[in-house]
Amino acid sequence: MEYRSQRIAHWYFRIALVLFVLQVMMGLWLAYNYTFTVPQEIVDVFPFATARAIHTNLLVLWMLLGFMGGTYYIVPEETGSEVYSPNLAWLQLIALVATGVIAIIGFLFGWTKGRPLLEIPPPLNYVVVIGALIFLFNIGMTMFKAKRWTVIQGVLLGGLVFLALLYLFGIPFYKNEVIDWYYWWWVIHLWVEGAWELVTGAIMAFVLLKLTGVERRVVEKWLYVEIGLFLFTGIAGTGHHYYWIGAPKYWLWIGGVFSALEPLPILLMVIDTMHHVKHRQTQIINPHTWTLAVGCAIFHFIGAGIWGFAHTLPQINYYTHGSQVTVSHGHLAFFGAYALLNLTVFYFAIPKLKGIEVYQPTRAKLGFWTMCSAMMLMGLTFGIAGVLQSYLERVLGMGYMTAQGHMRLWMGITLVLGVFFLAGVVVTVFDLLFMKPAVRRAE
Amino acid sequence: MTKKAAFWIFLFGTLSSAALFLVLTWDMHRQVDVLSRADKLSDTVIAGKKSFEKHNCNDCHTILGFGGYYAPDLTRVVQRVGEDGVRYRIKHPELAFAASVRKMPQQHIPAAEIENLLAFFSWVGEIDNGDWPPQDSKKRLTRGEKRLVAMAGVSPGAAVFKSKGCMNCHALGGSGGSFGPALDTVGRTLSTEQIGQYIKEPKSVNPQALMPPQTDLTDRELEEVAKFLGNLK
Repeated sequence: MEYRSQRIAHWYFRIALVLFVLQVMMGLWLAYNYTFTVPQEIVDVFPFATARAIHTNLLVLWMLLGFMGGTYYIVPEETGSEVYSPNLAWLQLIALVATGVIAIIGFLFGWTKGRPLLEIPPPLNYVVVIGALIFLFNIGMTMFKAKRWTVIQGVLLGGLVFLALLYLFGIPFYKNEVIDWYYWWWVIHLWVEGAWELVTGAIMAFVLLKLTGVERRVVEKWLYVEIGLFLFTGIAGTGHHYYWIGAPKYWLWIGGVFSALEPLPILLMVIDTMHHVKHRQTQIINPHTWTLAVGCAIFHFIGAGIWGFAHTLPQINYYTHGSQVTVSHGHLAFFGAYALLNLTVFYFAIPKLKGIEVYQPTRAKLGFWTMCSAMMLMGLTFGIAGVLQSYLERVLGMGYMTAQGHMRLWMGITLVLGVFFLAGVVVTVFDLLFMKPAVRRAE
Repeated sequence: MTKKAAFWIFLFGTLSSAALFLVLTWDMHRQVDVLSRADKLSDTVIAGKKSFEKHNCNDCHTILGFGGYYAPDLTRVVQRVGEDGVRYRIKHPELAFAASVRKMPQQHIPAAEIENLLAFFSWVGEIDNGDWPPQDSKKRLTRGEKRLVAMAGVSPGAAVFKSKGCMNCHALGGSGGSFGPALDTVGRTLSTEQIGQYIKEPKSVNPQALMPPQTDLTDRELEEVAKFLGNLK
């Protein structure tokens, strides 16, 4: 840690980690709902819908806090200056966390906007906007005052502005359900396959730059190509969500062609990461942080690239749309692309924030491999359930619940795997919160 | 490749895709009124959409394939289970899903609001969306028709129902007479035993009944047809 104001990042990380654990616990309850019968009396007061809203909103909240913390860590080093106003950073953290807590308590009492993933109702969502504006102002002013512009901070700021702007499309009430979904995807798709990818690209480039000591010129060149491809395929690729919503038919073509190309930038990211690691100029100090960075790139490619591609063509999507196949893809992609990215940043920054040069990697490794194996297997079991659903319900025309009955075994296995995943998460989070320096064994 | 070339790749990639996307978004707005039959988007439909959101239905059910995957898709729900079917499920989920392994919350939604929801679902059901979902495609027999076909093949009760002239007065799955009530969901209001009694002596169950007692049925035939009708829920 070179700058005092980087310290703020630590609290963003800590809160994000706690929310991560809560998110996964809620996920287990959802899997329980799929496997066992929850009695009517409980369903009446705490339905699946409420639990799902909590599960997904915690996901968004912890990941955004991770990104913001990461940004507060990176920007001082990139600009070579302190954060413009640490107080604003604190204010923004408190505002966002308070909004999150109030929103989740609100969900329990049925206070919701009722749009999946965007359940936070007005006026709370305006607080989110204000929080985002404070954040952008703070980061923008830091960069502006420092007058030192790098490609990494440019992409980071660009991604964050884009992220905040897109959120606005989820705020109005649309009378027409078709238009509603059309703009809902401007938030959801253009976040995860646009704005978040920019933030990820920038953060990953920064971490690789610091870890490998590869020339900045090379890292930034790759970054341009990657985000160019991400946005080229990702923006028009939004079309793969417009196949069956009542939008014009040409979206089948646009969505199909552009999203078939979507794995390319992710593949490039894998190659680029491997390339930097191979041509590193510095010694490996914390091997586990490297494992995370490479693991993130590979899991990102599997979950978002391959799994996304698998059901993006209209001919396939006609049968898999809105089934557990989507759930399988969603879990692998979010974990691979964004959970592992955040963890990479945490394992890179937290030792420095704590003044630990070399950390003890035992717990970290245990947590990482448990999480990765459990999530990979969960991707498969969700996937099997999804293929069953597509075939039984959509192809054969079996009744919804009859088809679900055949999938129940696989949802049950997912529940068991989920327990292992939670264990991996708890170990990882504990390790990050209470990190220990490596013990040097006496010879 | 130089950093400058990389910058141009970024700029061209982003702007070309964004331009295409924005032009098509404009065109979507031009076409959406026809595709979604926006002229039928009445105040009741809009009130129904608000109610749909207020009760967070969309975090268990998908609609147009988006939302929670915990409960059936609602895009063609009116076509699939009928208006009465939708009303019954919203009004009495604890009864409708009493035997189901998965329950739906009882949200005490007033009757007027249920009608708004119905208007909303009916409107969504008419959107021209590429014939999705496949299970409700009109190119297929409906679930009810399939069920009848399957039952006629295996159930003696259905054979009795068809061959003994019941359909001269009563309809099933839209075909049959209209003198008596349609019997598609008769099992919801009457038990198998009551139906058997009704067929034998209608006035003993409903004093106003116009139906003549069916005396020419054998005991076995009576038992089978009552079992068949009692299962139509």
